[in-house]
Amino acid sequence: MRYLLSSFCLLFLACGSYPKKQNFQVEQDATSIFHNPYFSNATKDYVYKANIEVYDNTFSGIFIVKKLGNSNHRIVFTTEMGNKIFDFSFVEGTFKVNFIIDAMDKAILINILKKDFKVLVEEELSVIKSYSLENTLVHEITIDCKTYFYFKTQQLDKIVRVGHGKEKVTFLFSEISDTIANQIKILHSNIKLNINLKSIN
Amino acid sequence: MRKIVYILFFMVAAVNAQTKMSSSESATLKAKVKAHATTINTLVSDFTQYKHLDFLSNDIVTSGKLAFKSPNTVKWAYTTPFKYSVLFKNDKLFINDEGKKSDVDLGSNKMFKQLNSLIINSVKGDMFDDNEFDILYFKQELNSEVHFSPKDKEFSKYIKAFHIVFNDEGHVVELKMIEPSEDYTKIVFNNRKINTSLSDAIFAE
Repeated sequence: MRYLLSSFCLLFLACGSYPKKQNFQVEQDATSIFHNPYFSNATKDYVYKANIEVYDNTFSGIFIVKKLGNSNHRIVFTTEMGNKIFDFSFVEGTFKVNFIIDAMDKAILINILKKDFKVLVEEELSVIKSYSLENTLVHEITIDCKTYFYFKTQQLDKIVRVGHGKEKVTFLFSEISDTIANQIKILHSNIKLNINLKSIN
Repeated sequence: MRKIVYILFFMVAAVNAQTKMSSSESATLKAKVKAHATTINTLVSDFTQYKHLDFLSNDIVTSGKLAFKSPNTVKWAYTTPFKYSVLFKNDKLFINDEGKKSDVDLGSNKMFKQLNSLIINSVKGDMFDDNEFDILYFKQELNSEVHFSPKDKEFSKYIKAFHIVFNDEGHVVELKMIEPSEDYTKIVFNNRKINTSLSDAIFAE
């Protein structure tokens, strides 16, 4: 029991330490809902040239995101020649693999991709706490029990997933025009997995 | 009533647009395409690729140039909207992704090897292998359309059928690869030139 208590304390301390380490100032009048502007237009096809680096392999191809309705997104990755590599659906909090090539059909990998892509398409997010850092507003948000910090200066330009006070995954959005991020990078710090997306439409 | 007549007329017209070939017609087409394929030493063509995914509002359109040199060197170079090329040469696959180069040894990769011979055969139009495909022949005005369905179970998980359209000279003008989900990739060839002299630089790694 004592062990359990101290674990909780440690967990609490560890989790709380990221905003402190980053010198975030707590914002008092925080907004309760944050809207992720990207991939939110159902009339648009979001098409990117993509590079996925997994350990020493690089898969290049076309990365496609389509909003099909409220809380309903489809994410497909194909080779340049059009052969599908994976095809995922995110519908009302559920996740479905419509297709994946045998070489990538590994539960661990699918789970990582699911977590990453859910962050890209999750639109309505409950803010737990808000902070400021110079000109940047930072929102603390939980998705599937994981803690994320959304950094918004002019636009949403960074999301960081934090575990035990450390940055685990960083999402960088740049070359933003209106609600489209023309460049997106997803960088993992604890595994060799990086995803680079460059808009082509 | 007039409306129904019109609808019926169009339905008949649509059915007529693509009719099954008789066995002698398909034999003639096969012979024509095979004879033509054996004369090809080099081939260059522009291509436009349409990736159709049912859930998208528009097909994804990419385009570039294809170059082939007998017996088995092929380069697909996409130029719009990005620069990306794959070169099949000496049992290897060389990739140039916006200047970033890499290669894959095909000797160890059955799937890529299959893909390579398939690309070459489909470019030439010579895929008439009854052991590998169930083949159906259709006429559409001056053109012919042939449907190739892979017999191999592994393969058919990825591609349900290839539809190749030949013009009246037996040249491939369109290639469609259909996935089990009915999504497809359609490649339309234009400006095709046969047996022109091609500089080695085109096929440089």
